[in-house]
Amino acid sequence: MASFFSSALNETIKGYLGRYETKRSSILPILHAIQDENDWISKEAVQALEAEHGLSVVDVNEVLSFYTMYRKTPPKPYRLEVCGSISCWLNGADKTIATAKAHIAEAEKAGKPVPFECHKVECLGVCGYAPVALVNKDRHLNVTPELALKLIADYSKKDLPAAAKKCAADLAARSSKQ
Amino acid sequence: MPVMNSPYNGRQPSEFRILTELEGVPNSRSLEVYKKHGGYAALEKVLKGGMSPDDVINLVKASGLRGRGGAGFPTGMKWGFVPKAPGEKYLITNFDEGEPGTYKDRYIAELNAHMLIEGKLIGAYAIGASKSYIYLRGEFYGEIAWCEQAIKEAYDAGYLGDNIMGTGFKHHMDVYIGAGSYICGEETGLISSLEGKKGQPKLKPPFPAVKGYLGQPTIVNNVETLAAVPWIIRNGAEAYKKFGTEKSAGTKLFNISGPVVRPGCYELPLGYPLKRFIFEDCGGLIGGKKLKAVIPGGASAPVLTAAEIETITMDYEAFAGAGTMLGSGAVIVIPEDVSMVHVLENLMHFFKDESCGQCTPCREGTGWLLKMSRDIVNGEGSPGDAEKIADVAGKMMGRTICTFSDAAAGPARSIPQKFAHEFLEFYKSKQNAAQAHG
Repeated sequence: MASFFSSALNETIKGYLGRYETKRSSILPILHAIQDENDWISKEAVQALEAEHGLSVVDVNEVLSFYTMYRKTPPKPYRLEVCGSISCWLNGADKTIATAKAHIAEAEKAGKPVPFECHKVECLGVCGYAPVALVNKDRHLNVTPELALKLIADYSKKDLPAAAKKCAADLAARSSKQ
Repeated sequence: MPVMNSPYNGRQPSEFRILTELEGVPNSRSLEVYKKHGGYAALEKVLKGGMSPDDVINLVKASGLRGRGGAGFPTGMKWGFVPKAPGEKYLITNFDEGEPGTYKDRYIAELNAHMLIEGKLIGAYAIGASKSYIYLRGEFYGEIAWCEQAIKEAYDAGYLGDNIMGTGFKHHMDVYIGAGSYICGEETGLISSLEGKKGQPKLKPPFPAVKGYLGQPTIVNNVETLAAVPWIIRNGAEAYKKFGTEKSAGTKLFNISGPVVRPGCYELPLGYPLKRFIFEDCGGLIGGKKLKAVIPGGASAPVLTAAEIETITMDYEAFAGAGTMLGSGAVIVIPEDVSMVHVLENLMHFFKDESCGQCTPCREGTGWLLKMSRDIVNGEGSPGDAEKIADVAGKMMGRTICTFSDAAAGPARSIPQKFAHEFLEFYKSKQNAAQAHG
């Protein structure tokens, strides 16, 4: 039977399984690797980790549910994550978040959705250049409301990230099966 | 703006460079540049100069170096707690920088991660560890890459491996990447996370130095602490103690945030005047606004009023004497036009979000503190709320496995107490507004 994971991802998983003192320590990096390829971590992926690589579903779910960076539902292709903790908040993060969220909602309403979702997150650790935000793995500093809108516009023009394309293809394949 | 008399008057921050020597140097992250500036000479001195592990521990003890992550525990003493008996021991670097206001450890990686690697190697030799990890927070994509690159370079150059510099000393190093959890910055929470579990702290004792990662003796040190070690080995304990105060030796990275003219990460000797730092080095507040309050050591540190910072110096003892803490050296500046009622709500939101949920006083307490502060912000508060907040916060202190609960309680107690008038005015204005609408 075919593996749930791609052959490259299987190799990465095997590498992590042997990298630390215990197999259990490999759960965090393996979940990062799955997310990097599939854009999120599905129940099927967790079950496949147990069936194919011997990592207990219970252990994996413990990690999955505790850490906030793992996405448990399929996301939009781009995530604008704006820090709302004290230093960023003092420099206007709330306005950045509200502006970005309103823009995304309006675009959706107007029938011209942007491939973005926006979240407030806790401290991103670059507090001197507030507000700080991530677009997927890219860090942006001094993200004013204007810059947030520009980021949304600029990224929306780009070719979608590979993980987002795979996520969309996986979801389409799943719905055609049902 | 005139500042208090201080031994540092007339001297520029650029005169106090131990960790930031490579600031402004082109290609600073390369191994070559690091070596040109004395890099790995300390490791050579330790391994080839006949220093025993105890010599290293004693030198670090004599330097007065204290943990720079927040707790300020003497580093040499911590290393000395590791049992001498043979067996696997681990040295883990806490690079889970997540205390709001703190962005200093990442600056070290941005300048040159080899400082950290060399410091780790020396620490590992001192405690007898043949394996170490750098635990980085998952959102630090660039910093992770810099550390991985530096580790690879160190392996290629023979500073890591089975026979380092031909001396027979064996050490292996790896990174480990977190996944979004503030509590993993607590050393036992970090160890749980490294073991592939929820990052929930463990009861102490046993302390990690005796029973840590996988039950083996483990030292967890902050990035900045370890990065200072090579300089101390090269220049000696006395040279290090020339900076700072008697009890707070050396320099420290201070990271300032909030609306200041020149934010950034500054290396300063401990004991440096806070007011001078904010108003001279950092250029004061944007738009010449007046200062209302300062959170001096990251979100967990109780707040100081503008009046309280007039004469205070930035060292462990002075801050403790003022009822707050040096913490991670994260100075958060709050201007006159920001309501402390809102500041409280923002901080409580952070602590509610990041409580790991293990201990009831913390899990429930942070929830209630957020709810009560949010009620006040929404105009549903009453003048007795500040007392209720203080009551709940008081019951969260000293009753949990780790100090997160105490950290959440700190600002919850200090803000309504020191800014009681703002809370009263807030109720009044909200009541008036409600009556006007009613």
